[in-house]
Amino acid sequence: MAQVATGPELTPRQSSRNLPSLVANNDRPELSEEVVKALETYKKKDSPKVVVRFKGVGNAPIMKQNVYKIIATNRFQAVIQFLRKELGWQKGEPLFLYINSTFSPAPDDTVLNLYKSFSTEGYLIVNYSTTPAWG
Amino acid sequence: MTDFNTTLFRRLTWEGTVPLEIRVDPKELPANSNRGLECYYIQAPRVSYLPLIVPEVRRFLMDVVFDEIAAKGLKDEEWWFESEEGTLLKWHWPIGVIYDNHTISASIRSSPTPSTSTASPMRLILHLAAPPNDKLFLSPTVDACKQAFMNQLKEADFIRWGNTRRMTSLRKADQDGLWEGIREHSFDDFWRVASKLMPTAGLPIRSTSPPPMGSSLSRPTSVDTANTPDRDGAYSIRSVPVRIYLPDGPVLQELAPPLLEDGTPHTLSHFFSNHFALLFPPRPPPPPPSRLNPNPQAPAVPKLAYALIQGVVCPPEAELAWLGSCMAGADGWLNICVGINR
Repeated sequence: MAQVATGPELTPRQSSRNLPSLVANNDRPELSEEVVKALETYKKKDSPKVVVRFKGVGNAPIMKQNVYKIIATNRFQAVIQFLRKELGWQKGEPLFLYINSTFSPAPDDTVLNLYKSFSTEGYLIVNYSTTPAWG
Repeated sequence: MTDFNTTLFRRLTWEGTVPLEIRVDPKELPANSNRGLECYYIQAPRVSYLPLIVPEVRRFLMDVVFDEIAAKGLKDEEWWFESEEGTLLKWHWPIGVIYDNHTISASIRSSPTPSTSTASPMRLILHLAAPPNDKLFLSPTVDACKQAFMNQLKEADFIRWGNTRRMTSLRKADQDGLWEGIREHSFDDFWRVASKLMPTAGLPIRSTSPPPMGSSLSRPTSVDTANTPDRDGAYSIRSVPVRIYLPDGPVLQELAPPLLEDGTPHTLSHFFSNHFALLFPPRPPPPPPSRLNPNPQAPAVPKLAYALIQGVVCPPEAELAWLGSCMAGADGWLNICVGINR
């Protein structure tokens, strides 16, 4: 029978559905163990590193080393801060970052997401400029 | 020309709104405020952004709540929003995504409430000072929000076509027109320009077969790739710009080509069982037929989670290409919030 496979998972949910008031104070009432585990797995920051290649544009200073391994779950904001530090940029000094010479990603997007969508030949190419370069 | 079906669903998406209840943090109310009225209700467009509703909220607070003299020291650029639970609300997320993401995250924290047909307002706390700018990522100005929006459009363009030529070849007036369309919540103004960027979901060019019969609202469920496909159509792009919002984070991106390798349309169920198998377990193949059971069915798998797009629970057989064309946000992204079945 089809239900057999799901039986063990359904039991706690079904029983608690009859007693909503008793489970209301639990941390995650009625969420099956399976779901809780799944959500934790996707939240987990097992951090592969991805290779980022920085390319200066226009008058931007050139970096001696321009290829870095960066933890993939970092937000792009961390890349911005990292680059500012490497260049010795003071607070308030303008610096514009782009992916593939086209757009500036949202600072809260992760390096992993950007790498998955935009990497070329194993690199995530980040262009940097002291003036707005691509819109 | 954008086909009728695409336009219809784009309009439905565009007209979607969410109820918000905005309350000034009582600790931050300026002296002599009218405390009975510090709450403002708004039905905000899903495709809009928080900085765009600030002027309306401000007008209300200045007119009705704040004491004129005490309010003089307030600066708009120091205002920021939090959810009731203390989650920072980002300036650059579409309001519809903030709402759906919040509703789902809240639903897994508390016991389920009986479903009602009317959506309950999301409660926002408005702070008037000391914005945590490092966590908000963006200054709260309309201009910063516009920049972020344009970049999202470009990013989506790149994912769809592998370059941003469609976006960059727009005249400045047209680019600005996109944002004005959002600001004014004008479907016609926005889509006049946006239709140059976004693919239509209509049928690819068919040489022989007549248009499908039946309900005029029905949409194509499959694509005949044997015929010349529409080069600008939803099934011809490289990948659908998709973001997946899991309850309480994280936000994930995966490549989502419109067609699978065998040429069949890429469906939500295929996408999720491929990338999020723990929440969307794939259905195993049916057992071999036997004498007792000549037509065996595939065993059922638990339905742990569902996909919510623009507030709509989407069927697993929905095609990503169609969804990306008809139910994407104004920034071109198909934002899918994953909810948990209870």
